Amino acid sequence: MGTILKDYSYTPAKVKRGYSGKSLYINVSDLSIEQKEITDFMKEKFTGGKGFDLWYLWHAVTPETRWDSPENEIVMSVGPIGGITQYAGTGKTLVCSISPLTDMPIDSNVGGYFGPLLKFSGWDAFELQGKSEKEILIFIDGNNGRIQIEEAEDLPEDAHLLAEELTKKYAENEDDMVNISVVCTGSVAKHAYMGMLNFSFYDPRRKVCRFKQAARGGLGTILHDKKVKALVVKYRGVKPNLNDAADISTINKVGVKYHKEMHDLDHKQNKMRQIGTANTIMIMSQYDLLPTRNFQMGGDPETVKISPQVFIEEWLTQGLHDGCWYGCTMSCAKCADHFLLTTGPYAGQRVTVDGPEYECAAGLGANLGVFDPQAILEENFYCDTYGIDLISFATCTAFIMECYQRGQITREQMGGLDLRFGNSQAVLELMHLMSRGEGFGKIAGLGIRKLKKVFVEEFGADPQLLQDIGMEVKGLEYSEYAHKESLAQQGGFAMAIKGPQHDEAWLIFMDMVNKQLPTFEDKANALYYFPMFRTWFGLVGLCKLPWNDIVPADNYKTDSPAKVPEHVQNYVDLFNAVTGRNIDKEELIIQSERVYQFQRVFNVRMGKGERKDDYAPYRSLGPVTREEYLSRQELYDKQLRDFQQLDPETMDLDEKIAATRRYREDQYEQLMDAVYRRRGWTENGIPTPERLKEIGMDLPELLEVIEPKL
Amino acid sequence: MIKVNTEDFPWHPGMTVRALLDEKLFTFRHIIVRVNGEFVPEEDYEKQLIQDGDDVLVLHLMAGG
Amino acid sequence: MKVLTHKQELCTGCRECELACSRTYFKTDDRNYSAIRIIENNKTYRANKCTQCGECIDMCTANAIYRDRNGVVRIDKKKCVGCLGCVGFCTELVMFYADDLDVPFKCIACDVCSRACPEGALEVLVSRVKEN
Ligand code: SF4
Ligand code: SF4
Ligand code: SF4
Repeated sequence: MGTILKDYSYTPAKVKRGYSGKSLYINVSDLSIEQKEITDFMKEKFTGGKGFDLWYLWHAVTPETRWDSPENEIVMSVGPIGGITQYAGTGKTLVCSISPLTDMPIDSNVGGYFGPLLKFSGWDAFELQGKSEKEILIFIDGNNGRIQIEEAEDLPEDAHLLAEELTKKYAENEDDMVNISVVCTGSVAKHAYMGMLNFSFYDPRRKVCRFKQAARGGLGTILHDKKVKALVVKYRGVKPNLNDAADISTINKVGVKYHKEMHDLDHKQNKMRQIGTANTIMIMSQYDLLPTRNFQMGGDPETVKISPQVFIEEWLTQGLHDGCWYGCTMSCAKCADHFLLTTGPYAGQRVTVDGPEYECAAGLGANLGVFDPQAILEENFYCDTYGIDLISFATCTAFIMECYQRGQITREQMGGLDLRFGNSQAVLELMHLMSRGEGFGKIAGLGIRKLKKVFVEEFGADPQLLQDIGMEVKGLEYSEYAHKESLAQQGGFAMAIKGPQHDEAWLIFMDMVNKQLPTFEDKANALYYFPMFRTWFGLVGLCKLPWNDIVPADNYKTDSPAKVPEHVQNYVDLFNAVTGRNIDKEELIIQSERVYQFQRVFNVRMGKGERKDDYAPYRSLGPVTREEYLSRQELYDKQLRDFQQLDPETMDLDEKIAATRRYREDQYEQLMDAVYRRRGWTENGIPTPERLKEIGMDLPELLEVIEPKL
Repeated sequence: MIKVNTEDFPWHPGMTVRALLDEKLFTFRHIIVRVNGEFVPEEDYEKQLIQDGDDVLVLHLMAGG
Repeated sequence: MKVLTHKQELCTGCRECELACSRTYFKTDDRNYSAIRIIENNKTYRANKCTQCGECIDMCTANAIYRDRNGVVRIDKKKCVGCLGCVGFCTELVMFYADDLDVPFKCIACDVCSRACPEGALEVLVSRVKEN
């Protein structure tokens, strides 16, 4: 194994009330290592997790910093609740960096054991800066207080091989493997802007390394650019109260109550323990929300072929614990064991495939017109081991396919790849080309924003059409929900702070089906509350799923079932029990807003974060093409009559499409106005000094950024 | 005519909650039904008749994704 | 497989079994530390204790629960991380925990309580049924 380039000893700080109080800084340009204090100011203003990440990142970069600048950092932190074992979904690490896709901060919430083990090794946060000359790996031994940086030239690139090799290398024996977690990307990170980070955890039943992904925004591409092959942490001795909680009794009580709820209700509700997040595939298709063939349609009769039942009965191993951290009885991290690969470098081998999660089945399935469970699993495996963000890949490939379908690009221009909707073999071939950096694989991973430019400038494609059908905002690809009929969700995506990802708000049922958000103000309130509430998961180290993918039996009796009040109270109780503080559910929202507004100002500082950056492609808002209009003609005609007092009988198809578009774009503008007001932003989307002051975030460095924009 | 989630929907004699859910293609299981504000438990969907002019709420409980 | 059984008609509710269990394993008279709990209902007494059904084995989030050679379901204390998942998932409600312990506890059919029972209401049976 490689030469040791640096050997550093430290005394691991003991965690007190959820914080170790220290963060680790490593610069891989000169291999320097430093310890920093987590100050009371940081805890007060930023809470932890994404808050700490962004604070460090802010100080590391300048407005000119790009993803591959040496000063760009990958920062990660688990947050104060992170690492408790008694509640579901308590092991999430938040990772931030300046993204190659968006040129501004990206954040990703990821499971796996790395973050909790890092904290128990003494580090609340970890900053990785600089660029190494040689390929290296960084090993943190939290029991012995040691950090080693060593050469890593001859290690495998693909994640499933690399993680296994490193886990074996650092474990003393079989039982020790669970104490190791590896962060790495895969071979695609070299050639694409959508490389992701895999976070491993060892599955002692299957005896394989499993993965969760910090998927969005090209984090893996950045790790590769820094020439860091892997980060490895080892910590032996996870116990129930390593966080030194102020009140373990409350944590136990809340935890047992929640586990019991899971035991009693999950099989009647979402069946997360059987299928995980892919449980909603059929429902999404039935409600016209399943993005199909690049979001052209919201479902397809063929969806039954990839229904949850098919995955449960034919592919996914049932009955074993599948949590991405201890104590997660939601256990949604399903997998298909002994899956036989049929393409690519590992064809003929049997592997364990993590997934498919909903995004995978929807994105790599329906959105590419692929209704074949086996193909979806194979795509899923290669995305993971190659280190590809499957959401960006799926949405980007769907875009390419539609460009091809509409004659905007030719097969020759794609190097002969026949990227027709439904051709899963071509999709897999594209992944393999990306992994090798060959042919069309060299440019397909640039992301939609850059591809639009290439297709227009080099292939002569129609810029307006590409603008309308390229599902990206701020440079990031949309995640996999069709949402043309939900104005609130259009805003939920396009006004999301890092780019169009549903982790800020999923309002489609409330808005489109339940009609609970009739006015702009109602929608704006929801687009305030839910993004703030959901930001909080990433501050404290939690997974979103256990919040509302199961609800207490009497949830329907509460005044706001969509918020799941009992679970919100659980979170308040857990936070207080760990930290010894005394917040309530209102203060929880303010904790989030501090970081949310900070991130928006950070965007502004990077030249983004203004109104111009919050516009959605028209495919998100309404029917771009004649086929789309005709597929729901009755509905759209009715809307012309009801909303615009027009008579569709007297209009031709193109006039109807144009009138619908004018109306919908205007609605979106009005929504922006309402949301900006509710969030305390100017008409141009800039947080106001008054609002920052109200929440205690009128810090001089923030005011300096916004003042010229007011 | 009845109201379903604030919008007009045609009514017919003998319409049960279940029939309404089927006609609206409401296949999502995790819902709350209220007829004129009164909660209707799932076991009663087959029995409970909807009258002309009723105001029905079918709340889909998912704020997920 | 070994399993503790209880004859309701013989039980007088004296709770000597609870004390024997908590004293043996946790050196305390506090019944909250006993793996058998006698529940009174109208002067009849039911004993809550593990049936060794094994439902908790596969759900354990740390792979710490196993069936030993005698068919008794046991927790490997070195592997358990105290997540209390098994406490919430035990249908019989007989996986117990206490705030000052790192690991939950349950009946391991050891015979201590049955030897302490003055009425002979408890017995550890050994069945030859092959377990899962
Ligand atoms: S719900 Fe799923 S993703 Fe969330 S922590 Fe549990 S296993 Fe991980
Ligand atoms: S503790 Fe409960 S689930 Fe586990 S074997 Fe005993 S009765 Fe079964
Ligand atoms: S408390 Fe221990 S034995 Fe029980 S499920 Fe959790 S890790 Fe397993």
